[in-house]
Amino acid sequence: MSEQERLLRRIRALQFSEWELHIFLDTHPNDCEAAKKLEECRAKTAALVKEYEAAYGPLNETSANTSRWAWITGPWPWETGEEEDA
Amino acid sequence: MWVYEKKLQYPIRIKNPNPALAKLICAQYGGPNGELGASLRYLSQRYTMPYPELKAILTDIGTEELGHLEMVGTIVYQLTRNLTPKQIQEAGFDAYFIDHTTGVYPADANGMPFSAGSFAVSGDAITDLHEDMAAEQKARTTYDNILRYCDDPDVADAIRFLREREVVHFQRFGEGLRLTTDKLDSKNFYAFNPEFDRR
Repeated sequence: MSEQERLLRRIRALQFSEWELHIFLDTHPNDCEAAKKLEECRAKTAALVKEYEAAYGPLNETSANTSRWAWITGPWPWETGEEEDA
Repeated sequence: MWVYEKKLQYPIRIKNPNPALAKLICAQYGGPNGELGASLRYLSQRYTMPYPELKAILTDIGTEELGHLEMVGTIVYQLTRNLTPKQIQEAGFDAYFIDHTTGVYPADANGMPFSAGSFAVSGDAITDLHEDMAAEQKARTTYDNILRYCDDPDVADAIRFLREREVVHFQRFGEGLRLTTDKLDSKNFYAFNPEFDRR
């Protein structure tokens, strides 16, 4: 695994933790400890995304924040990277 | 509305095609316990839910299920790449192939197309939450059954992730049910339907 892949993996893992805390807070809206953990996760993610983007360029995650060429360029999430478009 | 994120919830990279396994995993794309039915069930039930926690959890889990639908579609797609007609026939994938080639179509493992008849929207919070908890367990059983026939570690890794999410969602819906009964008459939870009867 390259350094870039390792960093991306850490970002994805943190984003998953954020999601877990987010849905936990749906049914435990008064849980201050979970809310605090979510804030910590968000801060850690933001720092790593900053580090990633400084080294490797934009993460291009959503249609709202990516460039139009990056958006249509593969691989798409379901692809293996070996696809050749016609 | 929704915004698409160009990533999977959990990464999938399958090295070896296996159309026989793809046919089984199709079940979770368009089958009765699959991810399409799960997302439509929760995203449809949420409109008339009476409490803020329930509106939030159904919206969020319904959204996550759409991400799981994408993961299952990805597994089916990656398992059916670069096949010869002979490999397709030997794997028993030929009947599917005749109708869909290697396109990803929402049907169950027997080829029966997706049906909204596989889920319910009752307009009653207690009824719907019990359905939702049962649905998570049915999906968990289906993933357990898939794992019995899955000897490819690349596929099993993603299926185990999806199986684990069913367990977490079951827990969240159980909490939703408890929140609901806490607000109702403990002598008779069914005295009125909080989605319809106004007191």
